[in-house]
Amino acid sequence: MKKTLLITALSAGALAVATHAYAGSNVDPEKDRKQFVEFIMAKAPKVPFEDYRLGAYVYNADKKAQYEAVNEFPPYLDAIDAGEELWTKDKAVYEKCFGSDVSKIRPKYPYFDDKRGEVVTLELAINECRKNAGLKPFKWGTGNIARLSAYLAYNARGQKINVKIDSEGAKKAYNAGRDLFTKPHGQLNLSCAKCHAYNAGRRARANILSPALGHVTHFPVWRAKWNHLGTIEKRYVGCMKNMRWDPKTVGGMQSKAFRNLEFFEAYLSNGLEIDGPDYRE
Amino acid sequence: MKNKMIHALAATAVAATMLGAPMASQAASADEAKMIAEGKKIAFSRSKGNCLACHMIKGGSLPGNIGPALIAMKLRYPDKQKLRDKIWGKPELEVKYSMMPPFGRHAILSEDQIDKVVEFIYSL
Ligand code: HEC
Ligand code: HEC
Repeated sequence: MKKTLLITALSAGALAVATHAYAGSNVDPEKDRKQFVEFIMAKAPKVPFEDYRLGAYVYNADKKAQYEAVNEFPPYLDAIDAGEELWTKDKAVYEKCFGSDVSKIRPKYPYFDDKRGEVVTLELAINECRKNAGLKPFKWGTGNIARLSAYLAYNARGQKINVKIDSEGAKKAYNAGRDLFTKPHGQLNLSCAKCHAYNAGRRARANILSPALGHVTHFPVWRAKWNHLGTIEKRYVGCMKNMRWDPKTVGGMQSKAFRNLEFFEAYLSNGLEIDGPDYRE
Repeated sequence: MKNKMIHALAATAVAATMLGAPMASQAASADEAKMIAEGKKIAFSRSKGNCLACHMIKGGSLPGNIGPALIAMKLRYPDKQKLRDKIWGKPELEVKYSMMPPFGRHAILSEDQIDKVVEFIYSL
């Protein structure tokens, strides 16, 4: 059986010599996901699967307690209200695109659209809906796009991530996202996987590294560091900048590459509860 | 193998000269102290080496725990050049999937900065 890149990395561990021959991957997504979940869960056998929506907080009781304290009066409540106002303001437009049940929208995204041959994220769909109705699209990353996304996430809380891959195109998108995640990029020669797979649970200075399992569950996120709400793509941009990897080289927010990355990460989190918006340090 | 021999011979030669010339070695050690101090600054700076992101290093606060603690480096690297090659990022010393950035190969630090960092790390 051919081992996948993520898993080879774990078993080969520190002994293998780098060849930099990272071939484009073509793995079976479901097998890959299961191996990944198993690998992450083996690092912390006491953490139940459901808890991975909590990100790095699963690894540290003190930080988790701080997080829980903040969530007694969450800083993102106003943003949910603002999202609801946005929805109400252009309700007729949104209902035509998404239907009228606001609890059923967030769980459909991201998905692979076979007709278009690409991944559609919730934020992309929102802005396309606006554009088609003659409304100005929102700016990516923060602001109204995050507020509306937060309102839709909030109404879908408790439902499970359930990304489907049942076409060759969807499988390709998963693999493309996976390549982006596993290959070293940027001046520091880092990859997402180095931090959020192989070294998940370890500390980079005082920051505990979260596993990719659970990355998508709780977005958009209110980060203390930002002091506002941001989408997952804003977070990707932040991590890429830390890697000294210019996000523009792969097209930036809502480019095909970014959407493939989100699709890959979302698929890994299948079965976890939607929990957005949430707070992070 | 051949390389190692040459390094070993070179090391003996250096040691012999130093023994034979204590004056020169004192001057060298003042220079060395300056190198070490500058190397420490570069190693600890978040925008330069940022070694503490991953390594425990004596004298640094809030270290990460991704890489091994950098202690007793002379013991682990009898050959100083090999330590430099490791930090520089010689491909044959690279550990696959490791977070360790190739500081020279990717021009994260200049050759001169790497020399200084090596002096500092070697003093640990
Ligand atoms: C050098 C380490 C490093 C690299 C490389 C890195 N990240 Fe991160 N990332 C972090 C740290 C530290 C945090 C904040 C703590 C946490 O939640 O993991 C973080 C947070 C995140 C979060 C938010 C997690 C949450 O629970 O809200 C996401 C999503 C994320 N990273 C995705 C990525 C992706 C995708 C890549 C590659 C493009 C990447 N990261 C590369 C260190 C890294
Ligand atoms: C992003 C993480 C990271 C940063 C930053 C980092 N290292 Fe490392 N380093 C590692 C890891 C992981 C290893 C172990 C695997 C390997 O050898 O690559 C390592 C290994 C080493 C080794 C070999 C240790 C041994 O026991 O053989 C040396 C020496 C070293 N690092 C020095 C440095 C210096 C000096 C700096 C800063 C200028 C630095 N590192 C910055 C992650 C890092």
